[in-house]
Amino acid sequence: MKELDLLKKDWQKNSDSFQQISENEIYKMIHRKSSSIVKWILIISILEISFWTFSNLFINTDDVLRKMNHPEIVTALEFLTYFNYVVVLIFVYIFYKNYRTISTTIATKSLMSAILKTRKTVQYYVWYNLGMIVITAILSFFIAFVYNPDMEFLREKLAMNGKAMFVTIGILFLVILGFFGLFWCFYRIIYGTLLRRLYANYKELKKIDF
Amino acid sequence: MSENLEQSFVAQLQANQNIIHKICRLYTAGEDAHKDLFQEITIQLWKAYPKFRGDSKFSTWTYRVALNTAITLYRKTKRTISTVDYENHQHFVKDVDYNYEEEEQIKLMYKAVYQLNDIEKALVFMYLEDKDYQEIAETLGISEVNARVKMNRIKGKLKKILNP
Repeated sequence: MKELDLLKKDWQKNSDSFQQISENEIYKMIHRKSSSIVKWILIISILEISFWTFSNLFINTDDVLRKMNHPEIVTALEFLTYFNYVVVLIFVYIFYKNYRTISTTIATKSLMSAILKTRKTVQYYVWYNLGMIVITAILSFFIAFVYNPDMEFLREKLAMNGKAMFVTIGILFLVILGFFGLFWCFYRIIYGTLLRRLYANYKELKKIDF
Repeated sequence: MSENLEQSFVAQLQANQNIIHKICRLYTAGEDAHKDLFQEITIQLWKAYPKFRGDSKFSTWTYRVALNTAITLYRKTKRTISTVDYENHQHFVKDVDYNYEEEEQIKLMYKAVYQLNDIEKALVFMYLEDKDYQEIAETLGISEVNARVKMNRIKGKLKKILNP
């Protein structure tokens, strides 16, 4: 291509025509803060993992459980709490391992895939927590309905009226759906703006290599 | 990090800074954006420097880190840059005399290159820098054959932009 050769000639002729930056300015630059997407992903990921981990710690169900007087439920919930700790540790370990593979000195495609993998780890952790919330919600609804003496009145009423039962389950379902929708939107906004370009470039690279 | 490391880094970067300028020229529009990307690349190079062992040349290493920063880590670059931007770039490029017809053609080529996407620009950049296909392929993480095929497609695309 003739024009490209012309451009190449011009490009190489002009390659030293930039205003030079002094050593002093470079010194200043290396002490400034980076604003790369990797840094943002790290900040957001730490916030997410801490938020979900601590939100689990602060939900206090002990009083309600004691009132119900069913030790087998308490044991089951304790098991679930320890299970959660193990899961958090596993996720943090995988996150750290993936994060360490992000390096600007590897090939572009590997770098992009490392960044996306790191972010996906956090995403899976969030989905895991959302899933646990749904399971817990359904279980507590069930437990409250069956074991809680305060629910006696509601139980009788629902037994008499099948339609009310249907409505209750429907509302529960809608609340869960709304909850998921909210998170989905939140993620679209945060990561959509942060990663749109990265996704586009990664897709382009994968297209070249099939 | 030690004073010595900092000193050797700054000296080497200062000597090789045109590589970064050229990448900034391709990926940003306007002087402020140019400086901003330059700074981010400098920070990323400095961060990666302790692992730089000198088994490759400083310049080769700079190409890779700088391109990766521009394509992957940098947040602010707009994907498409309008056609007036070629003129913007002239502000910080010293005037060099061309013959008029060639100058027009080169201008049009720059405009066409600015319309390419980030990955295509990276290939064109390395082509303009006289890198061989093996290095282009290794830098981007694609196969050499596919790098060649892509470069031919880019040439076609540039032709189309020039003669719509």
